[in-house]
Amino acid sequence: MTTDNSAPTASPWWSLPGKFLRREFLPVLTDLRLAIALLLIIALFSISGTVIEQGQSPAFYQSNYPEHPALFGFLTWKVIQVVGLDHVYRTWWFLSLLVLFGTSLTACTFTRQLPALKTAQRWKYYEEPRQFQKLALSAELDAGSVNSLSQILQNRRYKIFQEKDDILYARKGIVGRIGPIIVHIGIVTILLGSIWGAMTGFIAQEMVPSGETFQVKNIIDAGPLAAGQFPQDWSVRVNRFWIDYTPKGGIDQFYSDMSVLDNQGQEVDHKKIFVNQPLRYHGVTFYQTDWGISGVRVRLNKSPIFQLPMALLNTNGQGRIWGTWIPTKPDLSEGVSLLAKDLQGMVLIYDAQGKLVDTVRAGMSTQVNGVTLKVLDVVGSTGLQIKADPGIPIVYTGFGILMLGVVMSYFSHSQIWALQKGDRLYVGGKTNRAQVAFEQEVLDILERLNSQSATVINQQS
Amino acid sequence: MNLVSLQNWLDNASFAVLFLTMLLYWIGAAFPGLPAINALGTAGMAIANLSIATLLGARWIEAGYFPLSNLYESLFFLSWGITTVHLIAENSSRSRLVGVFTTPVAMGIVAFATLTLPSDMQVSEPLVPALKSNWLMMHVSVMMLSYSALMVGSLLAIAFLVITRGNNIQLQGSSVGNGGYRTNGYRLMKAGELVSQPATPPVENNGFTRLESQNNGNSNTAVLNLATTPQTPTLTSTETLSPQRLSLAETLDNISYRIIGLGFPLLTIGIIAGAVWANEAWGSYWSWDPKETWALITWLVFAAYLHARITRGWQGRRPAILAASGFVVVWICYLGVNLLGKGLHSYGWFF
Repeated sequence: MTTDNSAPTASPWWSLPGKFLRREFLPVLTDLRLAIALLLIIALFSISGTVIEQGQSPAFYQSNYPEHPALFGFLTWKVIQVVGLDHVYRTWWFLSLLVLFGTSLTACTFTRQLPALKTAQRWKYYEEPRQFQKLALSAELDAGSVNSLSQILQNRRYKIFQEKDDILYARKGIVGRIGPIIVHIGIVTILLGSIWGAMTGFIAQEMVPSGETFQVKNIIDAGPLAAGQFPQDWSVRVNRFWIDYTPKGGIDQFYSDMSVLDNQGQEVDHKKIFVNQPLRYHGVTFYQTDWGISGVRVRLNKSPIFQLPMALLNTNGQGRIWGTWIPTKPDLSEGVSLLAKDLQGMVLIYDAQGKLVDTVRAGMSTQVNGVTLKVLDVVGSTGLQIKADPGIPIVYTGFGILMLGVVMSYFSHSQIWALQKGDRLYVGGKTNRAQVAFEQEVLDILERLNSQSATVINQQS
Repeated sequence: MNLVSLQNWLDNASFAVLFLTMLLYWIGAAFPGLPAINALGTAGMAIANLSIATLLGARWIEAGYFPLSNLYESLFFLSWGITTVHLIAENSSRSRLVGVFTTPVAMGIVAFATLTLPSDMQVSEPLVPALKSNWLMMHVSVMMLSYSALMVGSLLAIAFLVITRGNNIQLQGSSVGNGGYRTNGYRLMKAGELVSQPATPPVENNGFTRLESQNNGNSNTAVLNLATTPQTPTLTSTETLSPQRLSLAETLDNISYRIIGLGFPLLTIGIIAGAVWANEAWGSYWSWDPKETWALITWLVFAAYLHARITRGWQGRRPAILAASGFVVVWICYLGVNLLGKGLHSYGWFF
């Protein structure tokens, strides 16, 4: 112990911070109470994000969380914006909590779980009867033998350790001790994978009219290392977008028939995508998420075919309607409005006074202002969510590890000791999780031992 | 056979059976001496379980997809899960108390589905595009099973809190395995021995005393009947070492722990299935949708419970309080979030 005093002076100065961390920080980090507190604090802040609307405009918070009267006396829009409660899950303090959580998990695995597993694997025989007395589930029998117990335990899938005839150790469910370690590894893997994905991935959205070719340009979110992921030398053509409707008029499914084109415009991939069935190409995935009406193709008398763009009208949340204006005189002094609400082919035509003139199906024509207006087609556009996330393989691996770990963690690690001393057989056991089931099992084993030895005695006599 | 009329008959029948079963359990708890009432209660639960299963099966045949697409179906699936987990818990704990707490919940859910939900929400509708996936069955069924296991586990924790009120108690069973030791010290068992150690609690007990006997609550009904296990005189005689049995409180607590331990992996797998589905369907495995967030909150609360059990000095009623509060959290996750009226997990109606 005398060397202890000289140790600090002998160690180089640069090891001090490490030593400080190990002595002062690590015990706090691996304290279970910190872990529980972290779990509950993360839960609490997550709740705040489900109660306060996320990602709205500043005006929204100003009108919903006024300063007078403040909600609960403190929750004003200023508080929300300073603390970041309008985007809880992306604030620095929430992300730091997650990082701290991951650090605590990792530290705990090394300082607690692995040593505990080592202890669990380092078992020993009980060689004295008094060792059985501390176990709650232990008994002293004047019948039965270690060998018959060994047989019973074998049938119950115990792993048996027995070197001599009079002493035995058996265990099962050691996976239950490994499970929690696997769980921690899985969670850390998921956290790392999501960080990697956030650094290197991107999300884009495109609204593409049926028949058009596009390159991914409208990137709404990208990580700092994402530039290499953007598709440079290929583009995508939406050959056709359509909606299948149920007989009642509800939407059955959205479809986009898509082709991937290389620099020369050659098709290199082709797929019909729909909800739950995306297109993947070179790490970029195209999801069917939205739709709209991009235009209408019409002919006036014997004119060439015009494709007029249609715009989404403001209906104050009363459903979606697209509209356009079609001139009926060459000088544009007169015209009609054309409205459509879906891709089932029905359009409504209103005159300048706002009076409904006619409803027309695609392919049919009508007379307005003395001209024949033929509606050839309503052109849909497909709403695509486009995403690359290089972190996915890591996250999915983490998912697999985590699922394996939680299932393993259900198993109870049961241990049974036995010792033959003179005419006495001592049997005892303990388990870490399933106390009730194990109690039942031990009682069954003891009963069987007794009945077996009873038959043996009967046969002998 | 007309499937629709069969369904109408079955949902009312399940409600009636569950209501009767609840009364049976309550009467059985109030008057422990009544014969046959225990078996009747279990039988009632089994009948309710089967009729709900038949109801869901009929809807599966009628609609052609796994019946978990709207609130009505999910409520019935939940009560089916609760009755199933109840039967498991009752069988392994041999405690009548389980039914006292689970039947009102199962009955309430079925009553709400049959009586309160408007009838146009009870009919099965074609699936919307987002739900047309094999993941529907994987994700939703596992989530619902985990909800039912966690609810029953929390109810058992509440039962545990009720019968241990006023006591300081040490829990058994956790992943580190701090249970399984005798509580009366290292008493030497031979009558001839002079030396016996004082019955102070050993170190493992952290100064808490174990609840010794079944002197609390309606012990006559709720005691586990394991004592009938044939034990030879050698085992029961005072001179020799014999197993020390778990008390009612310990049994309830351990069954609660095991049922939550079953619900927790299911919840984990269900959330992961949902994450993978979301990633396949619209390209993001986690988008902090309120339902997702609340599933995570539920997961965190029960993870905290599992960790509280292995924390020195916290073993006792504290983890059980966490588990009991988990009951509220599961309900918020299942229905409460939908009252916020946003996100991807709408059931239609005001939910």
